[in-house]
Amino acid sequence: MSRPLRVVVVNGSPRAEGSRTMGLAGLVTDTLADLMPIEVQRVDVYGLGPGFTGAVTRDDVTAEVEAALRAVEAADLLIPAVPVYRGSYPGMFKHLFDLVGQYALANTPVLLVATGGSDRHALVLEHQLRPLFAFFQALTVPVAFYASAGSFDGALVLDPEVYSRVEVGLADVADLLRARLQDG
Amino acid sequence: MAFELGIITFGEVTPDLSTGTTPSPQTRVRETVEQAVLADQVGLDVFGVGEHHRSDFIASSPVPLLAAAAARTERIRLTSAVTVLSSDDPVRVFQDFATLDLISDGRAELIAGRGSYTESFPLFGYSLADYAELFAEKLDLLLAIRGANPVTWSGRHRPPLVAADVAPRPVQDELPIWVGVGGTPSSAVRAGALGLPMALAILLGPVNSHLPTVGYYRQAAAEAGHDPATLPISINTHGYVGRTSQAARDTMFPYFSVGMRENNHQRGRGFDLPRRAFDAQATPGGGLVVGSPQEVIDKIATFAELYGVTRANVQLGFGGVPQREHLAAIELFGSEVAPVLRREVRVPAAAGA
Repeated sequence: MSRPLRVVVVNGSPRAEGSRTMGLAGLVTDTLADLMPIEVQRVDVYGLGPGFTGAVTRDDVTAEVEAALRAVEAADLLIPAVPVYRGSYPGMFKHLFDLVGQYALANTPVLLVATGGSDRHALVLEHQLRPLFAFFQALTVPVAFYASAGSFDGALVLDPEVYSRVEVGLADVADLLRARLQDG
Repeated sequence: MAFELGIITFGEVTPDLSTGTTPSPQTRVRETVEQAVLADQVGLDVFGVGEHHRSDFIASSPVPLLAAAAARTERIRLTSAVTVLSSDDPVRVFQDFATLDLISDGRAELIAGRGSYTESFPLFGYSLADYAELFAEKLDLLLAIRGANPVTWSGRHRPPLVAADVAPRPVQDELPIWVGVGGTPSSAVRAGALGLPMALAILLGPVNSHLPTVGYYRQAAAEAGHDPATLPISINTHGYVGRTSQAARDTMFPYFSVGMRENNHQRGRGFDLPRRAFDAQATPGGGLVVGSPQEVIDKIATFAELYGVTRANVQLGFGGVPQREHLAAIELFGSEVAPVLRREVRVPAAAGA
C-alpha cells in the first residue's frame, strides 16, 4: 500500500472533546488503524462557525468550510458519527450533508456510528442514517456501530460487546478498504 | 465483622501460552491446594472452587478439593463457587458440605447456582427445559434439609423424603448457603425473597452496571419481610494484582483473553478480547479488579460503596495464569490489599454471614 487510507469522521456532536460519540468513533478508528495504515481527519459540524451556519447554498460557504466539504467528498472511508437528537441526527449534521455534492459520495464506503441515551434509539442507524446515505448512493457497509450512555465511563467505551462488534464489523470491510487503496 | 476478601478458581487446565504444554490434572489439583494454603497463610478470608464439568477444568467436584485444602489450612473459609444445584441432589450436596464443615472445624460454605455452563445437565440426566424450575425446587429442598432433621419434603423432580435423617450435621449452627446471581433479575429476586446472601457474579462492563440487580435483591428481601441491611452480598469478579499497574495488566491480559475466547462468541466463533477493551475494564469505571495493590483497593472499595457488599472474591488466575504468577498475586492480595480494605470498608454491623 502506497498511501494511508483517508478516513474522515464527521462529528455530529456539539462537543469536540469528551463526547461519547467521539469516544465510540475513536474506538472505531483506533481499531481500524490496527488493520491498515490510515490518516484520520475530523470535521466538527458544530465548530465550523458562521461561515457554515449562515450558508444556504454551497456558494455561500467560506474557504475553510469548503475545505471541510471537499475532505468529506474525497474520503476513502466516511464515518458519520452522531448523537441521537429528537429521535434523529442533529440538524447541524444534516446541514453539512445538504451542502455536500449530490453525487460526490457515490460508491464511497460509509461506516455509520451513533450514540444515544438508551438502547431504544439504536435504530437511528437504520431508520435515519442509512436512508440519508442511500440518497447519496454511497457504499454504506452492513455493520454499523451504536452504543448507549450506560456503555460508557465519560467518553471511554466500557461495554466489551461494543469492542467485539467493532472488531467483527471492521474485519468484514477490511478487504474492501484495502482494495480501494490498491485501486487508488 | 470486617469486610472479607477471598479468591476463587475454576481449576482450569489450559495449555501454557509460552511452552504450549498442558499441565496434567494431577498438577493442577496440587496447584489448587497450594493456592488455598498460601491464601490462608497471607490471611485471606475465603477460598472458593467453581464447578465445571469439562476436560479443560479439574473442578467438576469442588468438595474433595476443598477438603484437601481444609486439611492443610487453619482459618480460611472454604466455599464452592458455585455448586450447580440444578443438576445435583440437594441431599448429597448437604451431606458433602456438612462433612466438609466437620473436616474444617466449621469453615464450610456453599454458593448455589443454576449453572452458566450446562454440561452437567445431560451428564446427570436432567433436561435444560426444566432449568428454572429445577433450581427453585432443589434450593427449596436444600434449605429444608438445612432447617430441620429429620426432614419431610416433596417436589416434582425428586422422590419425596419422609422423616428422612440427613447426616452428618455440620459444626456451624447454620451452614452458610449463598445464592449465585449472574445478572438475571429473577435470580436476584429469588435470593432476596428467600432472605439468602447473594453472591453476585460480575464479568465485564461498567463498574456500576449491577446496580439494578442489587436493587431488585434488596426490594424483594424487604417485600418478603427480611431486613435488607442484614443480608450479606459478595461480588465475584475476575482480576489480578501486580506490583505495578502495567505489570498486572500485562500478566493478566494474555491469559484472560484466552479464557474469554470460550465465552465471548460473535457469529458462532470464539473471539479474543481486544487489549484496548481489556484496558478500558481496568480503568476506575470498568469491571475488572486488576492493577497495582492500590488500584485493586480502590476498585473493590468502589464496588463496596456502590453495592454495599460485605465480601469480595476475586478470580486471580482465569485462563491459565501460571502458578508462579498466580501465587504472587495471592500474596499481594492478602498482604497488601486485604488489610487496607478491612480497615477502610464499613460493613453494616448486622450483615454478618
